[in-house]
Amino acid sequence: MTIRLEKLIPIPLLEQGTSGSGVWDQEAIQFERGKHYLVEAPSGKGKTTLLSILYGLRKDYQGWVFLDQQDVTSFGWKRWSILRKKHFSFIFQGLELFDSLTARENIELKNAITGHHSSSQIEEMAGELGIKPFLDRKAGILSFGQQQRVAILRAMCQPFDFLFADECFSHIDSHNREIAFDLLQRECRRQGAGMILTSLNNMENLQTDVRLRL
Amino acid sequence: MKHLYRILWKDHSRTHLLWAFLGTMAGFVLLLAGIQFYSDLKKILSENRDLLDPEYIVVNKKVNIGQTFGLDRPGFTVEEIEEIRAQPFADRVAPFVSNAFPVSGYTENERFPDFYTELFFEAIPDEYIDVKSEDWKWNPEEGIIPIIIPQDYLNLYNFGFAPSQGLPQVPKGVISMINFRIRLQGQGRGNYDDYSGRIVGFSNRVHSILVPLNFLEWANDKYGYFKESMPSKIILVSKDPTDPAIIRYLDEKGYDTIREKLKSSRMNIILKFVISFLVVVATIIIGLSFLVFLLSLQLMISRSADKIRRLNKLGFHYREISGPYMVLLMILLAGVAGFSLLITSLLTKKFAAMASEWNLEISPSLHGIIFGIGLGLIFLIAVFNMVAILVNTRKLCR
Repeated sequence: MTIRLEKLIPIPLLEQGTSGSGVWDQEAIQFERGKHYLVEAPSGKGKTTLLSILYGLRKDYQGWVFLDQQDVTSFGWKRWSILRKKHFSFIFQGLELFDSLTARENIELKNAITGHHSSSQIEEMAGELGIKPFLDRKAGILSFGQQQRVAILRAMCQPFDFLFADECFSHIDSHNREIAFDLLQRECRRQGAGMILTSLNNMENLQTDVRLRL
Repeated sequence: MKHLYRILWKDHSRTHLLWAFLGTMAGFVLLLAGIQFYSDLKKILSENRDLLDPEYIVVNKKVNIGQTFGLDRPGFTVEEIEEIRAQPFADRVAPFVSNAFPVSGYTENERFPDFYTELFFEAIPDEYIDVKSEDWKWNPEEGIIPIIIPQDYLNLYNFGFAPSQGLPQVPKGVISMINFRIRLQGQGRGNYDDYSGRIVGFSNRVHSILVPLNFLEWANDKYGYFKESMPSKIILVSKDPTDPAIIRYLDEKGYDTIREKLKSSRMNIILKFVISFLVVVATIIIGLSFLVFLLSLQLMISRSADKIRRLNKLGFHYREISGPYMVLLMILLAGVAGFSLLITSLLTKKFAAMASEWNLEISPSLHGIIFGIGLGLIFLIAVFNMVAILVNTRKLCR
């Protein structure tokens, strides 16, 4: 599976201008399965917008996004639903956890759709991320850093061809960040998936195949 | 999936849904009970028509001052009769035929005082007459004219005239034995014939002096010389005398009839009015509670808007997100259907027991149509709400 962008500019960035960007308004940018990308930019350059467009949440753009040569604007509800369940996983900057559910229930909600991991596998990963003691607490009362790791774990609980991670380490200390990044990379490799990671400028010392400046 | 239900059901407002539930149920009970009782009472009313004998309705034009002075033409024209015949409530229609020559009657019997009177005859086809008698036939060779008079005439004589004049009362059987002489007067002096007349029956239906139709046609042919007059009365047979359209039509045309006979028609109008009032109220209640249903579900959905968007981001199709709302709707509507049918059937049982004390027969169990109407309405409400749920959740999804 490949994602190809042609002359892509989000409408809100039209006025602002996109000169110097390595992604916006380019003839062709291609994301491929199995490769890991890091998209860097300071705030307000459209990192979240880029991932939202790829994930079908935003349609306010000029240019084209092709998924395996198919224009994504032709995709309907069902297609997007299937893509998000089985082909695209997303770690949202805003996490999108349900406060009233426990951490475990939040993870199960996603895992139950495809039954991707067994509960022991989930516990094992939670152990690596250092959130196992908090699994049965309501997500709403966890710290943001803990919540971030729950969201990371949840994103790995489905099959995917691409993982979109939107500044997903912002509130995690460097030690835990390396563990989490390592876990993500391992899962991506296991699934042969691509990863598109966004980050503020050089904030994180992360090893990826391709670095893009937005 | 259980987490999905937990997330989305959390935001419901118990009081809203409870009121919607109770309101819809009250509306349903009112509507279903109304229809149930209406069909029972309607049946009772139409059974009572034998008692009131309104199946045969004699219609005449209202007498106005113009007719008194001969300016207005009394009687029904052919077109008017045809128009009545064409009415949906009119099953059969026949005009009254009158004598077109002078008729008089007198007695020739020692046991009775001499009696002479000028008469009139009218005739309608036999099928409209409520008296069945073997003597009700005309044969020119025998020359006996059978006559049917209203029961009321006999009563007037026996209980009014006879006691006040010191005359003997006569039972029906004796009257039938009295031979009258009937004189039919043709045009010109001396052009008359006398026949025997016999009263063969008393009618409760037709207030007139009736003779067989074939006799009157024969006699009109032989003696008649009056200008051909239009029938002043017609008799109509209605399958459903409780049909309020009859009274409406007669009023509109300025025709008259014995109103008593259309009593059940009047009662039917009142009943219809009461029931339609009930149905209107029930419909308003159902409409309002349907709105409360719709709004409660919409409120629930908009309260959960963030969660729905979140679920959508996680890959849930809007149809999957609608699921918990649909299930909730189904549970509530199944409750409404079940409870309202139960309450209505209990009411019906109670009402039937009460009615049997008044000698009214009312079905103690629900009519099939009630289930049909109840479930049909529930189905409509369900479909409408389901569409609304889908539209509302879809609006929140990308």
